[in-house]
Amino acid sequence: MSEQDAIACLRIEIREWLAQNLPGNWRERQRGDDVAGFLAMQREWFGKLVEAGYATPHWPSEWPGGGRSLAEQIALFEELARGGAPRMSLFFVSLYHAAMTLVECGTDAQRARHLPAILKGEVWCQGFSEPGAGSDLAALRTRAERKGDRYIVSGQKIWSTLGHFADQCLLLVRTDSSGPKQAGITFLLMDMKSKGIDVRPIRQVTGDEEFAEIFLDEVEIPVENLVGKENEGWKVAQVTLSSERGLTLVELTERMALSLWRLVLAATGGTGDTAALDVSVARTVVDISARIEAMRAMLATLMENRIAGREAVGDASILKLAYSRLSRDFTALGLRLQGFAAMRDTGYVLGAGYETGNWMFDFLNSYQYNIAGGSNEIQRNIISERVLNMPREK
Amino acid sequence: MTSATDAMRIDPEEMRDAARRLLADKVDRRAGWEGRPDAGKALEADMGELGWFQLTAPEAQGGLGQPFDVLAPIYEEMGKSLAPVWLSSTMAAIDALNAAGTADAAEAITAVFEQGWRIAPLILPSGQSLARASLPMVPGVPGATHLLVVEEAGGAGALVAATAPGVTLAEVETWDLGRAYGSVVLSEVGDVACRLDAAQVLPVLRAHGELALAWDSIGGAAQCLAETVEYMLGRQQFGRAIASFQALKHRAADHKVAIELARSLVVRASDVFAVRGEDWQVLATQARILACEAYAAMAEDSIQLFGGVGFTWEYNPHLFLKRALVNQIIGGSPDELRDRVAADVCRRAMASRT
Repeated sequence: MSEQDAIACLRIEIREWLAQNLPGNWRERQRGDDVAGFLAMQREWFGKLVEAGYATPHWPSEWPGGGRSLAEQIALFEELARGGAPRMSLFFVSLYHAAMTLVECGTDAQRARHLPAILKGEVWCQGFSEPGAGSDLAALRTRAERKGDRYIVSGQKIWSTLGHFADQCLLLVRTDSSGPKQAGITFLLMDMKSKGIDVRPIRQVTGDEEFAEIFLDEVEIPVENLVGKENEGWKVAQVTLSSERGLTLVELTERMALSLWRLVLAATGGTGDTAALDVSVARTVVDISARIEAMRAMLATLMENRIAGREAVGDASILKLAYSRLSRDFTALGLRLQGFAAMRDTGYVLGAGYETGNWMFDFLNSYQYNIAGGSNEIQRNIISERVLNMPREK
Repeated sequence: MTSATDAMRIDPEEMRDAARRLLADKVDRRAGWEGRPDAGKALEADMGELGWFQLTAPEAQGGLGQPFDVLAPIYEEMGKSLAPVWLSSTMAAIDALNAAGTADAAEAITAVFEQGWRIAPLILPSGQSLARASLPMVPGVPGATHLLVVEEAGGAGALVAATAPGVTLAEVETWDLGRAYGSVVLSEVGDVACRLDAAQVLPVLRAHGELALAWDSIGGAAQCLAETVEYMLGRQQFGRAIASFQALKHRAADHKVAIELARSLVVRASDVFAVRGEDWQVLATQARILACEAYAAMAEDSIQLFGGVGFTWEYNPHLFLKRALVNQIIGGSPDELRDRVAADVCRRAMASRT
């Protein structure tokens, strides 16, 4: 069977599986639900994905569901989006960032301990950014000192996605300040139940709490939790940061494309009668739809190039900038079309993409894509310096 | 549409190389702006000798039966070099004549190669017909041997010789001195080379024309960006290259994003057009909207990023700006294009409701 046929078969298999397994009422259950309800839904859905092998297509082939090509992983994400499945919010860092870091850089003992636990629902967060180290991540200052068989860690981390629900943390610490800032960084695995950790959720402009701050006060981490070598954590961090390989954007773009009808619905005052559509509104919908199709095409090319190993410098930055602007304009249009009614807080669907059902929530939420994964300003620096060869910032 | 088997396929990248060589050799992009006339004629003759007019024509008519893929890089390179030729006029006409599928239309295609016909398409607005029409500015009219006349509303169409009784052509001067335009007046034209059904030819004529403009715009925008960055690297102020100021670098980066985003849609729309796949008409229109918008924004900003000299005739930003603005408005403003596809886009969106 050719690769193309195999993917077509996989798509059919996933569609059939979704028809059997997707809880039809998940949106109703999650609209305005509380934290306990969100966690329960996420665990229920994750359990089903693991059982079917759909949570781990990117894992090595010795794992159930593992060994799938990037092309197959793309197909899986597209089908889950098209089928209207909940996003894998709670477990994404565990499945991608944590698991791939351990697969590529961890010890056998670390893998044996955590990979099976991840499949049973161990939740991971990332302790990378700090108040003074965001775009300039290598400037991080959380200190770790080795005392015998443990590191003693003190400092502060921020923007840990769902850190307040995490069991484990991928932690970057400074073990040496004498040389260049990238040298002297060490990568540790931290049990979130350790003494000296204080986690505080960050309430966002949406009112939602998706991120957390982590305060560390002389937290003890056993030396066997070191990933890679001491002072060589920067390299490991690059593996973590590239672990999701663009799949998040594939999923989000697909969900946006499939939500275009929601814009038209808002534009027609909820009737869906396109004949009665205002001309200027219809024109804006044409532009947004063009940009979504362009975004899909550009992503498909990037992923093809990634598969073929011929991705060019800056491609990912171009894509990310295009996406963040599109996401803002898309949601802003929904907001405008719905009018004053959009200002009513109707509750939103947790764990959804662009189909939360509340344009104000989606609009406010779109601001996170200007920062997450490298701010738009950093992306513009990368494009101007590394693609257009303009002089570097000093 | 194509009949070439895979083995007969010409590699589009080879076409790009051929186009680059010819254009680098033959295009004098400032000719029209410096009063050196006939810049396009020699170039068009070379294109004919290289067999470009045969590329997408069916093999039965003496063509090479290639898909649209081979034209895309040519159009893009022409946009980059600001080539002073409306190649797409005759090429779109060939595609449209092929879509008509009649014996007369097939003969007309052969005549393009054998008798050197050059065809200017002409879409008549509502109220105009072969009996009575007046269009003030049609691309490619100077030099055209024939007009492919299609009524937008009436459904009639015909191929008419430029010398037929009742046809009056005159060259007109426009702001786009890099390409030729002419006025057309039709009065009781009865002597036609062949009659055509507008329903068959118009969609192909339009989509081909829009993709050609889209590619010209992508090529032009990329070239304009490259020349703008190059200038910024050399221009010093406050003891440093102006290309080192972050505010300006970020503007250049934003143009790069807009151009690449548009390019992705133009590639996709071209692939779909080549096989007349789903939504080919809508995609061609959307591709042109996005590409022309990116080009216009780039060229407008180029005037500013060049500093004072961007405002001079001597420097090149205005060449790009004038071409970009023509590309964006010719044959229909962006809003007219949007109105053409809006109902389809919205209906399809509602149909995908989950």
